Amino acid sequence: MTINWDKYRSDGFYDELFMPNGQPRTAARPLIDYLRSLSDADIRIRREASDLTIKLMGITFTVYSEGQMIDRAWPFDIIPRVIPLSEWQRVEDGLKQRVRALNMFIHDIYNKQNIICDGVFPKYLIERSKNFRPQCVGVSPPLKTWAHICGTDLVRDSDGTIYVLEDNLRVPSGVSYMLENRMVSKRVFPEVFETANIMPVDDYPTQLYDTLAALSPRRVKQPTIALLTPGIYNSAYFEHAYLAQQMGIELVIGSDLYVDQDDCVYMRTISGPRRVDVIYRRIDDLFLDPTVFRKDSMLGTPGLFRAWLNGKVALANAPGAGVADDKVIYTYVPDFIKYYLGEDAILPNVPSYRCHLKKEQEYVLANLDKLVVKPANESGGYGMLIGPHASEAERERFKALILDSPRDYMAQPTLALSTAPTLSRKRVAPRHLDLRPFILSGKEQYVTTGGLTRVALRKGSLVVNSSQGGGSKDTWIVDTGEKG
Amino acid sequence: MLSRVAGNLYWFARYLERAENTARLINVNTYLLLDLPRLITPGWLPLVEISGNEAAFNKAYSDASEANVLRFLICDPDNPDSILSTLRMARENMRTSRDVTPREVWELINDLYYDVRDHGERALLRQHRHNGLTEIIRDIQRIVGMLYTSMSHDTAYRFMRLGFHLEQADMTSRIIDITSADLLPHQADELAPLQNIQWMSVLKSLTAYQMYRRHVRLRVNGTSVLQFLIQNHDFPRSVHFCLFHMGSQLQRLPSSPESWHQLQRLKCIVDDANLTTMDQDGLHNFIDEIQQGLANLHRRLAASYFGG
Repeated sequence: MTINWDKYRSDGFYDELFMPNGQPRTAARPLIDYLRSLSDADIRIRREASDLTIKLMGITFTVYSEGQMIDRAWPFDIIPRVIPLSEWQRVEDGLKQRVRALNMFIHDIYNKQNIICDGVFPKYLIERSKNFRPQCVGVSPPLKTWAHICGTDLVRDSDGTIYVLEDNLRVPSGVSYMLENRMVSKRVFPEVFETANIMPVDDYPTQLYDTLAALSPRRVKQPTIALLTPGIYNSAYFEHAYLAQQMGIELVIGSDLYVDQDDCVYMRTISGPRRVDVIYRRIDDLFLDPTVFRKDSMLGTPGLFRAWLNGKVALANAPGAGVADDKVIYTYVPDFIKYYLGEDAILPNVPSYRCHLKKEQEYVLANLDKLVVKPANESGGYGMLIGPHASEAERERFKALILDSPRDYMAQPTLALSTAPTLSRKRVAPRHLDLRPFILSGKEQYVTTGGLTRVALRKGSLVVNSSQGGGSKDTWIVDTGEKG
Repeated sequence: MLSRVAGNLYWFARYLERAENTARLINVNTYLLLDLPRLITPGWLPLVEISGNEAAFNKAYSDASEANVLRFLICDPDNPDSILSTLRMARENMRTSRDVTPREVWELINDLYYDVRDHGERALLRQHRHNGLTEIIRDIQRIVGMLYTSMSHDTAYRFMRLGFHLEQADMTSRIIDITSADLLPHQADELAPLQNIQWMSVLKSLTAYQMYRRHVRLRVNGTSVLQFLIQNHDFPRSVHFCLFHMGSQLQRLPSSPESWHQLQRLKCIVDDANLTTMDQDGLHNFIDEIQQGLANLHRRLAASYFGG
C-alpha cells in the first residue's frame, strides 16, 4: 500500500476531510470509508476513468502557447471536498446577505450616493476606482439589480472560520467546471452517491435561465436570450459554449448583433433579424460598446450601451457592476451590510489593511514580510506581493508602489488556507484550496450548492488559479442530519 | 440559427469537399501520366488551372514541374486552395461550430489538419503519394460519414449539405472543363485509344468510373461521360444530382426566393442542354454558364442567410 489513510495529517492547517487526530469528519466519513476500501489499483483505475471522462466531455480551458491557442484539460482531483449541509446553510445565508448589500451599494453609488452623504464611505474611493463607469450614473436597471451573477471566493483559516476573500461582480467564471466536476465524480464514485446524502448541483443552468428571463424588457412568454462571448480565443470559451447549450440560448459574438434605429438589439439569423431581450455578457465593460467605451474594441456591438440605457435590452451583469469588485472597496462590505440592511455580516471579510488610511498604511509598510499586498483592480492572482515568499527587492518595489498610489493597494495577513487530501502521483497529500460559490440575484436569490473548489496542486502553494497551476475538485454538500 | 454559424457550417463543408477533390485529382493525374505517351502528356499544369489559381502559381514558381505543382496544391500555405489551406479553413470554421456538431468531428478535422501540416510534404514523393492522399480522402470521408450518421439532419446539417453539393457541382464542372479541353477536337483521329484513357481518368478523378460502367454499359466515349457527369440523376457527383439535392435542402430552410429561383434557372440550363451535339467551344461556354450560375447561387445564399 502506498496510500495509507491512517497516516494522513495536515499539520497546522484546517483539513476539510480529516480532524487533527486523523479521524474523518462526520460529513466525510462515508467518503473516507469508501476510499479506504479501495486498493491502490482501484484508485488508479478511477483516476484514469476520470481523465478519460474529462477528455471525452471536452472540458477544457484555452491557453496561448507557442504562438497558437490550445485547449487544455483543467486538472481535476478525484477526491471531493466535503462540507456539511448545516454549515453550508449559514454560508448560503451569509452570501445572500452580502450580495444583497453589494447590489444596494452599486445602485446607490450610481444614483443618490446616500452612503457617501452619510459619511460611511469616502467619495474619493469611487473617483479613483478603475471600474466605476461615469456613463452609468443615474441608471436604474430592472429590479435595481446590477450584479445578477456573482462569484464570491471563500477561504477557511486554520481555526476553521470561513472568510470572504473577494467578490467577482464582472464576468466571474468557473461554474461550468463545478457542473462538469459533478458529472465526473458521479461516474467515478457512483457507490458513494448511494450511501452519502450528497446534495445535487445541476439546478444552476435552470436557475440562471430564470434569473436572466426575468430581466426581459418585453413581457413575452419566451424572451430571446443570448450569451455574448469574446470568442473562441477566450480562456473561458468552453464555459460560454457550455452554458449557452445547457440553457438553450444563443451563443453570440459582437458582430452577430446590431442595434437598430429603434434602439433595440437584433441578432442576424438565417430568418432575418431577431430581437434580443436579454444578454448574458461575458465581455468586460470596456469592450461592450466601442461608441461608449474603448473605441478599439472588436468584441462588442456599437450602440449596445444606448439600447441598455433606453431599457430595450437587459445586460447581465449590468455595466458598471464591477465597481464593487475593487479590493479596496471590498474592505467596506461589512459596513455596507450594516448601512443598507442594518445587519451584522454573517460571513466575515479577511482582516484587511487599507493603504489609503494613514495608520493602516504604516502597519502595512512595517509588516510587508508578513502580509499579502493586493492591487485593487487585478484578477487572476496577478500583481500581488506575497510578503513571506518575496525578496527584499520585491518588497521595496511594492513599498514604492503603495506610497505612490495608496488607494490602489490593500493588504491582508497570509492566511493558513485549509487543505484537503489530494492525489499526487501515487500518494495522497494535503493541498490548499478555496471555494467559489455563485450567487444569482433577480426576483429571488439563489446560491449554488457548494461551488467550485479550486486546489493548489503544488505542495505548499497557495495559488489556486487555473492560469497558475491550480486544479479543481468536486464539492459535496452532505446532509448529515445535524441541525445548523 | 445565427447567420454566422450557418455561414461557418456551409464553408466548412465547401473547404472539406475542396480538399477531397484536390487530393483525388492529384492521385488520378499521377496514374494518368504513367499511361500516356510523353509527347501528348498534358503534364501538371491543368491541375493548377482547375483550381483557378494560375496567376498565384506563376508568381511563386518558375515552371509547372511535377514537384512545383504538387507543392502548390498540397502543402503551400500561400495557396488558398491547397489541401493544407482548405483543411485549415475547414478547421477554423468548425472551431466556432463545435456546439452544433458532434464532438468527434472537431477531433477528426483537428487531427487531419495537423497531420497534413506536419507530414503533408511526404505526399510530394511518388512512392508515398498514393497512400498519403488516400488517407486524407479517407479521413475526410470519415468526417462526412460521421456527420451523416451522428448529427441530426437539422438546419445546421442542411447548411453543410448546401456547401458540400455546391462545391461538388463546382468541382465537377471545373474538372470537365479543364480535362476535356484537349479531348474533343481530336475525336476522330488516331489518338482515339488514348482519348479513352483520358476520359476514363476524368471519370476516375470523380470516382465515377465504376458507376459509369454500371449505368451506361457502353465503352467509354466523350458524350456519354459528359452526360453522366452532368445530367445523371443518381450519381452523387453529377452536377444535376448536386443541384437537385440543394433544392431539397433549400425547401426545408427559411424561404429565400432569390436562391430558389437561381437554383431552378441553373437546373434548367443543366438539364436541357443537348450534350450530343456540343463541340469544344460549345462545351466550354456551357460549363462557363454553369460556373457563373453557381457563383451567382452562392452570392444569393450568402445574401439571404449569411448576412451578406
